[in-house]
Amino acid sequence: MASFARPSLLRQALATSRSPLLRQNVGVSQVVAFHASARKQILPPEPQSIQGTMNDPVPVPAPHPVEGSYHWTFESAKKCVFRAVCVGLIPLSIAPFAAGSLNPVMDAILCSLLVAHSHIGFQAAIIDYFRPQRVPKFNALCNWLLRAFTLTTAVGLYEFETNDVGITEALRRIWNA
Amino acid sequence: MASLRTTSRLFAASRPLFRPASFARSYATVEAKSIDPAASENPSMKTFKVYRWNPDTPSEKPTMQSYQLDLNKTGPMMLDALIRIKNEIDPTLTFRRSCREGICGSCAMNIDGVNTLACLCRIPTDTAQESRIYPLPHTYVVKDLIPDLTLFYKQYKSIKPYLQRDTPTADGLENRQSPEDRKKLDGLYECILCACCSTSCPSYWWNSEEYLGPAILLQSYRWLVDSRDEKTAERKAALDNSMSVYRCHTILNCTRTCPKGLNPGRAIAETKKMLAA
Repeated sequence: MASFARPSLLRQALATSRSPLLRQNVGVSQVVAFHASARKQILPPEPQSIQGTMNDPVPVPAPHPVEGSYHWTFESAKKCVFRAVCVGLIPLSIAPFAAGSLNPVMDAILCSLLVAHSHIGFQAAIIDYFRPQRVPKFNALCNWLLRAFTLTTAVGLYEFETNDVGITEALRRIWNA
Repeated sequence: MASLRTTSRLFAASRPLFRPASFARSYATVEAKSIDPAASENPSMKTFKVYRWNPDTPSEKPTMQSYQLDLNKTGPMMLDALIRIKNEIDPTLTFRRSCREGICGSCAMNIDGVNTLACLCRIPTDTAQESRIYPLPHTYVVKDLIPDLTLFYKQYKSIKPYLQRDTPTADGLENRQSPEDRKKLDGLYECILCACCSTSCPSYWWNSEEYLGPAILLQSYRWLVDSRDEKTAERKAALDNSMSVYRCHTILNCTRTCPKGLNPGRAIAETKKMLAA
């Protein structure tokens, strides 16, 4: 309550932390420089920018036909199928009766899920780390790179399935090697 | 107010009846009489390191300033320590506080690495360990421990946090609700919008401009499940994009840090289920 007793002039004199009055204060033992982060940051935060006035709400994005709940539902369903297939594959890869006669339908499901799963996962990472609002060009580059990689993976897996032994047979051979 | 003072105060004559305001004890300080004499001989000094930054000198880097307080003379909570520092050591220390009992949400700050309300956070009695107090992480700092919550409030406004109805009520008086429907709001209406959860969310750190964050989404869910609200479809459509809700990756820092013990992570999960249905 001592601050209530102080005249306001003294308060103003105290307002700067370099004030000699403050240096004499017994409770203040030291002032050290503070570094929260490395000197070189990958994406340092920009100065604050508020759109509109204080009393305007932030703009509400329009509903997207593919993003949002459809995307989430598809991803959840895909996760369930993926897990079911993976769990189903474990006994297949171990069981001796599966040797030589692995189901090509299983191969097709697994490969398409693998492609979709990695595409959605990397897409989420790109949205999180390289936002279009922050780095629009790099975001577009990443998205096109991802599409190219997804396409290459899909074509490669198709070639592997049609012209070679296929992914489950390859896994089986590695497992038995 | 003088008339309200009972005559019993006259007989409790150890203290003078009328004291100048400047000598009145602040509630953050323990009264001298109640201190154990043995304890006052052995002060337990604890170091508090507080984040300082002054907007009047913007070229100076933020610093951590140390203060030492005798815990025997300080109230039990972190807010008591901060108020005591401000009153008795350094009046330039700046922080928000109002209710000192976890209802207003003003004193949200990062104490010893956890976002919490200073008024609900006990001072650790281990005096060997120093306590470190920062403003809420990844916020723009106005001064010292005060974060700029403008965006947070603008986002809150964007979800239209009020009852929206077109049809008049049956009796023209009240919007009635069954006890079961009322129960759905438990664990949601208690939120005081202190922004502890939102500022603890890494996804909100990265995408705070577009992602609404756990606090706002909990409030949004509070209006989605309200049986009296008739604009549920519009509310759902406003969330149905890749950024508003679906930047939640169920990190659950929000649930871990909530000083009121609420579960924003569950509210977001329920919102996702509602949107998917």
